[in-house]
This record gives sequence, C-alpha cells and structure tokens, in this order.
Amino acid sequence: MVFALRTASVVAFLLLWEWAARVPISFNFPSPGATLMALIALVRSGALLSATVTSLQSLLLGFGGAVVVGVPLGLVMGVVRPVGRVARVYLDVLIALPTAALIPLVILSFGINIASSAVIVFVFSAPFVTMNAYGGVRDVRPRLVEMAQAFDASWGQLVTRIVLPSALPMVMAGLRYGLSRAFVGLIVAELLLSPFGLGRLIMMSRSMFEHDRMFATVLWTLLLAGAALTALARLEARLLRWRA
Amino acid sequence: MKPPPAGESDFGRAGLAAVVGLLVAWEALGRLNVSMFVPPVSHVAVAWWQLLANGTLVRAASSSLASLVKGFVPAAVLGVAVGLAMGRFATVRHLLNGWVNALMSAPLSALVPVLIAIFGIRDTVVAATVFMFSFFVIVVNTMTGVRGTERSLVEMARVFGAGEAALFGRIYLPAALPAMMLGLRLGVVQAVKGMVVGEMLISLVGLGERLIYYGNTFLITELYAVIVSVLLIALITSQLAQVADRALIRWK
Amino acid sequence: MAAPAPVPIVVDGVSKAFGPVHALVDIHLRVRAGEFLSLIGPSGCGKTTLLKTLAGLVPADAGRVVVGDRVVRGPGRECSVVFQDFALLPWATVQKNVEFGLLLRGVPAAERAGTARRAIGKVGLAGFEEAYPAQLSGGMQQRVGLARALAVSPRVLLMDEPFASIDEQTRRLFQDDLLRLWSEERKTVVLVTHSMEEAIYLSDRVVVLSPRPGRVQQELDVPLPRPRETADVRATADFARLVDGLWKILRKLQ
Repeated sequence: MVFALRTASVVAFLLLWEWAARVPISFNFPSPGATLMALIALVRSGALLSATVTSLQSLLLGFGGAVVVGVPLGLVMGVVRPVGRVARVYLDVLIALPTAALIPLVILSFGINIASSAVIVFVFSAPFVTMNAYGGVRDVRPRLVEMAQAFDASWGQLVTRIVLPSALPMVMAGLRYGLSRAFVGLIVAELLLSPFGLGRLIMMSRSMFEHDRMFATVLWTLLLAGAALTALARLEARLLRWRA
Repeated sequence: MKPPPAGESDFGRAGLAAVVGLLVAWEALGRLNVSMFVPPVSHVAVAWWQLLANGTLVRAASSSLASLVKGFVPAAVLGVAVGLAMGRFATVRHLLNGWVNALMSAPLSALVPVLIAIFGIRDTVVAATVFMFSFFVIVVNTMTGVRGTERSLVEMARVFGAGEAALFGRIYLPAALPAMMLGLRLGVVQAVKGMVVGEMLISLVGLGERLIYYGNTFLITELYAVIVSVLLIALITSQLAQVADRALIRWK
Repeated sequence: MAAPAPVPIVVDGVSKAFGPVHALVDIHLRVRAGEFLSLIGPSGCGKTTLLKTLAGLVPADAGRVVVGDRVVRGPGRECSVVFQDFALLPWATVQKNVEFGLLLRGVPAAERAGTARRAIGKVGLAGFEEAYPAQLSGGMQQRVGLARALAVSPRVLLMDEPFASIDEQTRRLFQDDLLRLWSEERKTVVLVTHSMEEAIYLSDRVVVLSPRPGRVQQELDVPLPRPRETADVRATADFARLVDGLWKILRKLQ
C-alpha cells in the first residue's frame, strides 16, 4: 500500500513536470523526455563524468579535511571542558552565519581554483561535524563513566571503551549532516566560481540557453548527493547495529 | 535529517572571553599585515559605519529582508499546513514523505538556476530560494510533532467525548506546538541562508549582491563589513525566533 | 444537585483479537450497580483490553457490552476513565485539565469552573488550580486525573492501573481517599491492577483473567466489612487469607 502511494507520487510528479513543460511558464522548461535525452548526451560526451570527477575532488578534499580536523577537535572540546566552552562560541557563530557569505572572501584569498572550492566545502561542513562530535562526548551518560570507574578503569580505557562508543552515534549523525552541508557548499561554490565541475556545467548550460542540459545536470547533481548520503547512512547503520 | 541541536548559547563568561579574544587577535593580525585579506577590525568597523551612513547598507538590507519575509511567510504557513496534514493522515504522509526527506538534505542551491530559468533574473528568485530552503525543515518538524502526540492523550480525549475537530484543535495541535516552533526556528536560519545564496547567484540586489560586488572589486574592508551585517541579521532573526518560541511555550 | 445513580455493567460473550493474538475470548461478566470490582491477571491477560471495551475505546469482535441500559458502541457519558500514565494535558493548568471533560461536553464556562474547583477540592488539591502538571508529583498528577474523571459526574468509573506509577506510601493514602470518595458518591467501579493486595483491599469482588487467550479464570468475593479505610484491615487475618487465596489462583496461571 505504501509502495503504491510512493509510486503514485513519482508518477504524479512526472506528469506534472510534463504538463509544466507544455504550458508556457516560460520558453525555458524542458520536458522530462528532453531532459533524459540531454542527460544521455552528456554522459556519452564525457562532459558529465569529467565535471563529476572535478566536483568530487573538491568535495573529498574539503569534507575529508572537515572530518580529519572536526572530529578530533570536537572530541577534545568535549573532554577538556574549558576549551569546549570557548570554542563552542565560535562554532555557534559559524553555524548561525549564512556560510555562503564567506565565499567571495575565500575566492579572493585563494584564487579561482580547486583549493578555493575545497576550502569552501570545508567551511560549510566542519562546524557541524565538530559540534556533533562535541555533543556526542558531552552526552555520554555519567552513570556509565561511574560504572567504569567503579571497575577501576584507566583514563585511556574510559576514553576508548566508554566515551568513544557512546559518542559514535552523534559523530555519525554529524558526518551525515556535514556531508549534506558539504554538497551545499560545493554547489554554491561552483555556481559562483564557475570554472569547475558540475556547477560550471549548470551555469554554462544556462547561459547558452541549453535548458535541457541544465535540468539534466541539476538532476544528476541531486541524485549524486542523494546517493552519497544514502551510502553514508548505510555505513552508519552497520556501525551502529546495537541501536534499537 | 535533523541538524545538530541548536544549543541555547549559554553565553556567559566563556562567550565574552571568546568574542573579546577574537576581536583582539583580529586587530593584531590586521595591523601586523599578515595578509592583505585580513584587515584590522577597526578598519572594518569604520567601513561598516561609512556604508551605513551613505545608505548602501540600509538599501541592501531592506531588499534582503523584504525577500526574506516574502519567502519565509508562505513557507511557514504552507509548511505547517502540509506538516499537520502529513502528521495526521497516513495517506498524505506516504505520498509526500519521500520527496520531503530527499529535498530536505539536498543541495537546494542546485535548483536556483532552475528558478532563474523560470522567473528570469529578478528578485522573485530570492524569495523563491528563501521559500525552498525553509519549507522542508518546517514540514518535517511539524509532522514529527503531530506524530509524536502521546496516544494516551488521544485516548483520554476520546473517552471524554472529543470528536475529530476537538481532537485536532485541543490535542494534536497543542501537542505539536513545540516541534512546530522548533521547525520554524530552524526554518528562519535556513531562510536567511537561502536569502544570501539566492542574492549572490542572481547578483542583482540585496546584501548578497554587495558581497559579490565588493569581492569582484577587491574592496576588502567593505566586504568584511557586509559579512558582519549578514551575520548580525542572522543572529537577530534567530534570537527573535527563540523569543517567540519561549513566549508561546510557557508550560514546559 | 445529587450525583447520578450508579448502573450495572453486563459483558456478554465479548471476544477481541488483534491479528493472530486473542486478547479476550468469550468473556461473561456482570458488575452490580455501585459495586467495586477489580480485574487482575498475569501480563498479557487482556485486562486493559477489557477495560477499553467497557469504555468504548475498543470495539469487540463478538459479543456486546451493556452499561446501564445502553449497548456500548463508542465512548459514552456514563463512563469516566483514569489512566495509568495520567494523560494530563501538559500545556494546561490543573484547573483547565479538570475542566477538560466538561469542556468537551459543552458545559458553559462559569459552571465548568465551579464544578472543576469542587472536584479539585475533593481530591485534596485545593490551592493547586494554577499549577502545571510538570510541577506536580506523580501522586498529585493522578489526583488531577481522578478529579477530571469525577467532574463529569459519571455513573461508572474505569481505572487502568491508576496507582502503578506512584510510590507505595502515596499509593496507600490515595487508595484510602478513593474509598472515601466512593462511599460518599457511589459509582460502579472497575479497576485494573497488578497488585493482589490492592485488589483485595479496595474491591467487593476480584475477577481473575487468564493470559492469552484472555478468559475469566475465576471470581473471588471479598467479604471484608466496610469502611476499610478507617480500620486496620491490612493487618487482619481475613485479609491475609484472602490475599493468599488470590495468590494461589494467580500462581497456577504463571
């Protein structure tokens, strides 16, 4: 029954799209069919693949950096309380700030290259990854720590056997949210920076009025992001099998 | 997928120390001329004041805020309505859940060029972007709130003779209110981000346009001044949302 | 205004299944008007399901329930329910919570307020009208639940393990208050409980249900004299004997 409803909604969406393409909202709306054709053409020409590779490079660099820096930082913040309390203020500001506002500054500082887009991806995702790692450590049940201490656990054992496993769910959630933010940063950066990746393909298609190509690339980008997030969610489920 | 808990900024001494420390370090780094891209905070303050005085900031900010309201209000009204419907009626939920969840974590900025294709390069695109960014968060949180209503409250109300309307108005709606307010608070934060992204991509009006302009023309102190202004707007709107939340939910 | 007279309840061949699980099978039960009856049995014996059938919250698959002269087809005005987890509206004050049932029945505001205040006084919470549930202890919250149930002047009071979430000392005081209120305004009471001691202390009769499928296993009369809240009933030999008798029945069902 649920499956039927879900299929129905997808069908309804496609029909709506087809209708929207025929109604003159503006010249510009390509139909689902045209979009599909454009997508196939893009894949055949290799343009989509090379743009994807370029984008993924920035993403991996930026997000990878966010994880490598953010998770340990968050853990330290959680364990060393004074550091946590101070650093948290900066992170709260970074999270509240519309990060896109920093993009022109980054571009000025680093130039128009992959380093810039990687830095932007980093800035978009690192604060969330860090805050979640911090939260994970802070929310460790004191009763569990007490219990381990009653069994005369050493400090190292406390960290590796109580704190880290307890914090893992929140760290993973932070990674998931950080990845979705990383994609957001990547796309905004590339739409503005233009010479790179999927963002460039989108902007270029638009300026050449090749709207079917633009739609196809946008769709592809959304699917790519969705696939990456689903993969991460699967990994998380496997790592956290003990959760009810 | 929910973002990490929006912690109450327990500002306090740590907060004050952090901010003061930052300002001092910023000023020092600026004066030491570490990079042409890090001006001293005092220069930024001066530039900010000048922009305010000559009306640039006011003009840009009003355009931005107008788009924010034009996009957020419909997102809030529609978002709550859809969220309530999805929470209450399983059919609606199964129809829309896939879309809502997918779009909530998607890089919606990828859709802005699509909006430009539809509306052209106009400020309506900004309002549409604001709507897009905030709508899904509001729907998901409202829906979660309704679904989280304790069954025993529903049973209790039915025992005392509540019909559908009474159940909805006196049980489901009040029970969902905290989650709804959370959704609206998160929605406001997302709306401000959407506002900036939209304005930067169409580069026509508002604070986003100023960011692009000063970036392109290498006017660094002005650029920082606008960034600070954007941050101020983000903080103020988020605080207002928190005040509204506390005012409406006194019973916790 | 005099309180409405209590009415009898007849359960006639009621069965209820949830998918493959037979919660209740062919239940026959008669509750006299004004009687205090307890339902007891091991976990999963369907006692809460039976109570919900009486309340009209759960429709029976077979058989019927008659409360007074009405066949139960949905929640009705003669029954009031007290819930195990209190089911108070967290966003409303004690006063508003107690008024809730009256509100749903369209009682005008001034009359509602007065009736509710009287009920609040009767359960011993006078002065707490403007407090919120979160500010009250478990025992106090359940008193609000009871006040709400009594405010609508029911003929039948259905209680689903009302004292389970309350500590022992508070529970005993509450039980005595319940008996006192009940003796002042007689209602037909059906109480679901896990506690043998509570069942014997409060009731005129105890019905034991057997687990999956739920059937009436046995009925036990409790001929202890009333009023029980003033005497030291729990210390008597009769009481101990009755509790032991009940335990022997229940033990065979485990």
